[in-house]
Amino acid sequence: MVNESIQAPTQVTLEKNGAQTPGKAAEAPVGRSSATERDPSTSDKFNFWLSPEVIVNPFDIVQVGQVAPDNKASKTYGLVTTLEHRTDAPNHLANFISSNFGSLAEEPNTPRQGTTIAKVNVLSNNANVYMPVPNERVVTFADANGIEEALGIDQMELKNRVPAGLISMSNGASAVAYIDRRYVLGPESAHINISGISGLATKTSYAMFIIQSILQKADDPTKIAVIIMNVKQADLLHIDERGPDLPPEEKEKWEKLGLEPKPFEPGKVHYFLPRSKDGIQPNSFFPPSIYTTYAYDLEATADKLDLLFSDVSDPSGTMESIIGDIMIGLQGGQADFKAVRSWMTLLYGPPLFDPTAKKTVRLGDHLGSSVGKFRRHLRRLVHTRQTGIFVESRAINEKVLSAEIGKIKGGHVYVVDIAKLADAEQTLVFGDLLKTVYALKAEAPEEGEEEVPDKIIFFVDELNKYAPSGAKTSPISEQVLDIAERGRSLGVILVSAQQFMSAVHSRVTGNAATKVLGRSGSAEVLQPDYKFLDDDLKLNVTRLNKGELLLSHAIYRQPVKVVFPKPAYRQQQA
Amino acid sequence: MPNPLSVITPALELLGKNLNILPATGTAVEDLQHPDQDEIDDVLVHKEMDKDVTAFAEEPEPSTTNIYRPTPPLPRAERHLFRFFLDGSLRTYFLATGIEGTRTFPIELAQIGASVVTRDEHGHLSTLSSDLKVLLLVPKGARGVSDSVWTQLSKVQPPGSVLQIVDFDIPDVFGDDKKDPRDKAGGKARFRMHEMEAELIKATDHLRSEDSWLIIDGAVKLGDFISAPHLIGVAKSFSKEPQFYFGARKSEKRDVTTILAALPYAHRTMAFKAYDGKVAFWYVRMWEQKDLDYPLMGVVKVELPRPDRKPVPADLADLLSRALVAERSVTPYGLDRRWHCHIYPIFMAEQATKNRFFSQQVLMGAIKWPKPGAP
Repeated sequence: MVNESIQAPTQVTLEKNGAQTPGKAAEAPVGRSSATERDPSTSDKFNFWLSPEVIVNPFDIVQVGQVAPDNKASKTYGLVTTLEHRTDAPNHLANFISSNFGSLAEEPNTPRQGTTIAKVNVLSNNANVYMPVPNERVVTFADANGIEEALGIDQMELKNRVPAGLISMSNGASAVAYIDRRYVLGPESAHINISGISGLATKTSYAMFIIQSILQKADDPTKIAVIIMNVKQADLLHIDERGPDLPPEEKEKWEKLGLEPKPFEPGKVHYFLPRSKDGIQPNSFFPPSIYTTYAYDLEATADKLDLLFSDVSDPSGTMESIIGDIMIGLQGGQADFKAVRSWMTLLYGPPLFDPTAKKTVRLGDHLGSSVGKFRRHLRRLVHTRQTGIFVESRAINEKVLSAEIGKIKGGHVYVVDIAKLADAEQTLVFGDLLKTVYALKAEAPEEGEEEVPDKIIFFVDELNKYAPSGAKTSPISEQVLDIAERGRSLGVILVSAQQFMSAVHSRVTGNAATKVLGRSGSAEVLQPDYKFLDDDLKLNVTRLNKGELLLSHAIYRQPVKVVFPKPAYRQQQA
Repeated sequence: MPNPLSVITPALELLGKNLNILPATGTAVEDLQHPDQDEIDDVLVHKEMDKDVTAFAEEPEPSTTNIYRPTPPLPRAERHLFRFFLDGSLRTYFLATGIEGTRTFPIELAQIGASVVTRDEHGHLSTLSSDLKVLLLVPKGARGVSDSVWTQLSKVQPPGSVLQIVDFDIPDVFGDDKKDPRDKAGGKARFRMHEMEAELIKATDHLRSEDSWLIIDGAVKLGDFISAPHLIGVAKSFSKEPQFYFGARKSEKRDVTTILAALPYAHRTMAFKAYDGKVAFWYVRMWEQKDLDYPLMGVVKVELPRPDRKPVPADLADLLSRALVAERSVTPYGLDRRWHCHIYPIFMAEQATKNRFFSQQVLMGAIKWPKPGAP
């Protein structure tokens, strides 16, 4: 005779708060692996049933004993992707009938036999054994060391570890999710892309956190420069000012991550704000106390006119051709363009316009009607619909952005505000910056010029505006693709964000070695761009809370859920 | 990993060397259970019982004009009366036809098991005790193996092992009426299973009380009468043979079908006397007739041992019946065709036993007859 339990009576004490106690949580079993005829364990997946009273959630990391060569033991780690409760009721009708044919007053005398099954994707095995997990192996939560082994963090050199968030598990344990510097800043791979619904995904906050983490953990931060585009409100216009005191739990997160909760270093943050129409105040929400105003006169824009016309429909390429000729004319100082010194003279003088006849004229091979189209769009962009950045001539305090960025220094942060600019203006500024940075890194500095920082991190939100999905390209999207594909070797690192990954060119997101997902809609996660996610995990992305992110990194076999601390700098909202 | 049933190999080798063996198609053929096995069991167990029921076993003495009493459900939350549930299960397989001299006989294998499950305050079930045996069923004597083969067989049976070698020609209540030797072997396995059930009752001996009762699946007479207190037998399917006489006149005779067809929902019949008062039995309707296909569906037969032959107090029969009606939730609907009269914890006890049985694959792997002509 034997005595045994139908339901394992194991009670697990959950450590609700506080950091991982090494070894403690790992000892508490949560269930046993279960392989059945229809649902077998494989090298990639296994299931386990949960002991009653145990709480496990998707994204928890668990460990289970496995064989290893030479009769040794190893550990297989897995990521819980989904949980399902199964009972012996073969159909819903059985439950209906059990309740006395649908009587709501009927209470079950004996609860139906059931168990919760956790489905697990295998992360790794610490002896490189990928035999399927056998049946009835005890499953426990992974401890902090186990999480590091599971994700491959233990293989990272300490100097390459960049804290990218905290993994919090259902048993109260937590561990730092490190990403590998070599896969963030190169040379192995590079770039970070962040997606998610506005307001819930906290994309900008995360981008700023990861930039701070990179800087704080860098061997030599003076070799890294950062360019940040401020695209909404005054979110990033006070990042060198300390914000309100953080609540203790946020401080604790900073501490666990091994980072200091502080704003960006005052004196090393430079703000570039666009000129307003009156030229007195910058065209920004809540400008910082010290800033530089930037503006575009024709001279400063001549080599990037194509960027200004990025949103103009040009199916036949006529505009592209005209713009190309005009750019050459302006930059090459061709005789026809000698008198062209400003936007006004370009629009209302030769060689595009005959002021005497008051009509648009032919330009080389280009018909007058095509030149007229160029003029109409240019007038709209730099006159009628402009926000103030286009000037006939710049005042002393109105700087050329590319020239200022050309003086970029390692250890410094450059915030360029484009929040109040029109879309075409934003594209111009972003393209201007990319072009400048790319040129800086691609061309060797001339004698006497200051050394260009080894790495330039470039953060931009709403990337879909500049590199939209689809086959069609524009001057700006080509610029972004260039950075995405070749920036790694040059040391230009793109930290980008957008609401919908599917709205961004797949070559940009595909080149990001680190993808971060905040809450996203179910329709969005079903797009092909999310193929790297298991189907079960996709549904979890739709349930992420504010501040929770899914982190997919080149060296992780599966994405993990992380949280990160609130910024210590002042977040000014309009 | 060695086959856990390899313990059977020496016995099969011995039979193979001493007999001519005609193996079953595919090594072993599982014998199908009779669809009304419970009813057959009830008939066989009670074959000595007088089929004419003439007296009540209840006090105060019931009126013959109304033999039904209301027993509204008494949920566990109000009073947790039934805490132990016992059921057994078996599977039998035809392995081969043995030929020794002019005698031809079947060689059968059976897995028998039984489990007692207990239910805690939250309704959760766990196994209190269980047992499992593998029976190699071989007849001995004039219709089976010779004395010398049997003697050798007895020697290869490892002491204390899961394997038991059983002569199925020995008379018992379940095999006596069987003509086909394979049916006889099945009857013997069933008899041994019931013996195992009776033995397992002991696991609850110190735990049962007037507030903690045991339900046995089926009758309380498993060969011998069970006289342990605080237990009832609940039969899902039962003999329709009894005739009920109330009063002196023959015209007052009623058959069990008529009585049960009129039994209202959540009511019981009066307790009747059987075996001269050693057993009191009555019927309880657990489900409304309107929801079921036939009048006898949803009715269980309850047996209460009365070793002192005293009538059962009506309040006790009411209490037991009320608690029993509450046991209808939840039901194994869709899992067992007898769901309307099944008690879920009994069903789980059966499952706990069946889940311990060796699989067909293990069984097949263990059955290896010596090849003809092998040394």
